[in-house]
Amino acid sequence: MSSLVITLLTVVLCAGILIGGLLAVMLNNMVSAVVSAGLASLFASVVYVVLAAPDVAMTEASIGSGLTTMIFLYAIRKTQKVESEDDE
Amino acid sequence: MTDFGMTEITIIISSVLIFFSIVFGIVRLVIGPDTVDRVVAIDLLTIVTIALIALLAHQAERFIYLDVALVYGLLSFLGVLAVARYLEKGI
Repeated sequence: MSSLVITLLTVVLCAGILIGGLLAVMLNNMVSAVVSAGLASLFASVVYVVLAAPDVAMTEASIGSGLTTMIFLYAIRKTQKVESEDDE
Repeated sequence: MTDFGMTEITIIISSVLIFFSIVFGIVRLVIGPDTVDRVVAIDLLTIVTIALIALLAHQAERFIYLDVALVYGLLSFLGVLAVARYLEKGI
């Protein structure tokens, strides 16, 4: 019974990965897109834990969810004078 | 299916609560009109995810999974802090 519940939660997590990817593509605001890309990385890490790979999950959590967000924000800050956010 | 112990009932109830928390967090992330709403939704989803990883560690009886939850607890703080400093013209 509890394994059935875990399976249902895994399906919800995979749908969350899909929603995070779609939002990262479709949103116009750049910071919102970066945060939505962090959602996909967050849920992918939990799916790695479900698939019994805790080391891969730890690497995905530290790099995908922590470091990528900071590097993207730094790049947006550096290129803000070149590209305007609200022209499309 | 017949013998529900106390642990089984607790796991099922907490799984249902985590399920609805994830669904409502994703709804706020999709319809959130502002960036701040989405950042708070990500923070909520990270905290719920820590609880989910602890639940998976109990269900699979592998307590090495709790280290992943520990890494999450540190890094969600840093990520939200980085976005907050960006929104206040910092970084």
